[in-house]
Amino acid sequence: MIATFLGLWRSARGSLGAIVVTLVIGFGLVVLVSDDPVESYRQLLFASFASKANFVLYLNRATPLILIGLGIVFAFRAGVFNVGGEGQLYMGAITCAAIGIFLAGWPGVLVAALCLIGAVLAGALWGFWPAFLKTGLGVDEVVTTLMGNFVALLIANFMVTHALRDATAYGATSLMLPQDSWLPSIPGLPNATIGFPVALVTAAVAWTVLFRTEWGANLRAAGINARFAETIGIRPKREIIRAMIVSGALAGLAGAFYVLGVGHRFEQNFSPGFGLMALTVALLARLNPFGVVATGLFYALMLNGAAYMQIETDMPRSLVNLLTGLLVLLMTVDVRRRGRARVAA
Amino acid sequence: MSVSLFIASVLTQTAPILLAALAAMFTQRANILNVAVEGMMLAAAMAAIAVGDVTGAVGVAILAGAACATVLATIFAFVSIVLRADFIVAGLGVNLLAAGGTLFILEEVYQNPGGLRPDTFPEIWALRGDWLNAIPILGPALQGASVIVLFSLVLVPLSWVFLYRTPLGYALRASGEDEHAARAAGIRVPRMKFLAVVFSGVIAGLAGSELSMDRLHFFLPNMTSGIGFIGLSAMLFGAGTPWRTAFAAFLFGVAEAAGDRLQSFQVAPEIVLMTPYLAAILGLVFARSRIVAGARPAKLGASAP
Repeated sequence: MIATFLGLWRSARGSLGAIVVTLVIGFGLVVLVSDDPVESYRQLLFASFASKANFVLYLNRATPLILIGLGIVFAFRAGVFNVGGEGQLYMGAITCAAIGIFLAGWPGVLVAALCLIGAVLAGALWGFWPAFLKTGLGVDEVVTTLMGNFVALLIANFMVTHALRDATAYGATSLMLPQDSWLPSIPGLPNATIGFPVALVTAAVAWTVLFRTEWGANLRAAGINARFAETIGIRPKREIIRAMIVSGALAGLAGAFYVLGVGHRFEQNFSPGFGLMALTVALLARLNPFGVVATGLFYALMLNGAAYMQIETDMPRSLVNLLTGLLVLLMTVDVRRRGRARVAA
Repeated sequence: MSVSLFIASVLTQTAPILLAALAAMFTQRANILNVAVEGMMLAAAMAAIAVGDVTGAVGVAILAGAACATVLATIFAFVSIVLRADFIVAGLGVNLLAAGGTLFILEEVYQNPGGLRPDTFPEIWALRGDWLNAIPILGPALQGASVIVLFSLVLVPLSWVFLYRTPLGYALRASGEDEHAARAAGIRVPRMKFLAVVFSGVIAGLAGSELSMDRLHFFLPNMTSGIGFIGLSAMLFGAGTPWRTAFAAFLFGVAEAAGDRLQSFQVAPEIVLMTPYLAAILGLVFARSRIVAGARPAKLGASAP
């Protein structure tokens, strides 16, 4: 029992250290700038629990972070540096919106099911091609997934402005999806996407798959040492492609949950950068699926709290963007001076 | 459309890409994939406009841009080399820090999250003169080229000389290609890597200054919009060597300039904006297969250990 806790502590202390350092630096900054620093920070960290409506928004922000983060865990565990979460999310969201709008008039359940399937496939496709280029041609996946983000955003923008646009709405916003295809809310929490409990279940499934199945073991072996894995009969290239398909699929699913459960349409700016934040979430969790739930909830807290902080105090919400940068900069710092592995596990 | 005009537009599009690529090249030769170029450029773009607005001096503005990016680069180098953070994660952190920091300053200091547009801003030093028109085609194309654009062209041979003809360049490349051998030969590898990152900061700073100071005279949030990453791709396409990297940067610059032209033919702007990213991805696919064929020793983005 004590050993378990010690193990947990050992794997978590680096992340906790980075979080604490960031929050302290952030507080220093707030003290310098704000007239009421304590109130600013209180809003940032606790406003999400102040009302039911705030809490619902909080859960809706945590959902994509956890889902994409879980996907990134798969990719990183297989040794792929997937920075393309944002693109995969957008591909899922826009595909979901397109299917929902084109199939308007079909039975709602069927539309919703097809939307979800389409989004998952689109996200998976956006995870597949960088993996294919990496394994087939040796193209570095960091650059391709980053480029893929820009391309996906532009594809989504193109689809919205040329095919799905709601002419009455301001900006690049799609038409509403038919109401009977909307996903139900969490019972007792109106407007909270059902995606949140799904994300929790997904975390448990992801943990089981990664640590209690042969596939998970092969995937992790391929990620730790591809050459060794190959000598014991694992095909690392296949594991990489599979991991990236799962990674993209989960991000695509997150996009579908937003469109079907929160926005009920596609908005060009629906994501404040969930993709890279989810990378932060996954790495802070030291690539542990249950850890992703914890860090995802923490991160959504900051993200959501920033909005209330801006409304209630004189602190701009971009403080959180700045703190995110600090956190990402510092989170893989290894104070114990061990050898550097490219993918922090 | 005259050829000279097109070349001129290629030059302006290429310069920031080329500088970003060269910045990434120095760190790549020290075996660090520098994804932070993007953030360094963004911070520099803002610093140049902010300082130029206050001082009204072009030189000071360019220096401020370069200095700001260098400070970021030093932080990046410290965190990833001294504190041994993963350099890709830390590099992404630099990008987020630059994006968040510039937005924070826009909101907090300038009370305008939309951007920073000084009413008057000094014109950047540029090549002008009737004598240029005497040179066929290239002369008129260089008309109005900014000092940073010209510097980016000169930097290509300069960096070749530095990397391949100076002891420091040898040491830097040795640190990247085989850390252990370099250490055995008495080279201080961490110091070399640090130097490479700081170098890349100066160059990325110039790229950022060029972006906001040349013609535009304003700063917008996220105005780099992936140019740093396109430069990174150009460097990978060019296998980390100066001439090939410059060639790739020009290729991407042509793609951007051609994209601008396409816009007047009623092609959807999204398709046009996509061209440089698609060109970069295709470029990498194409380049990588050639690198494998040539079995280059440089460890391009290879995972350690």
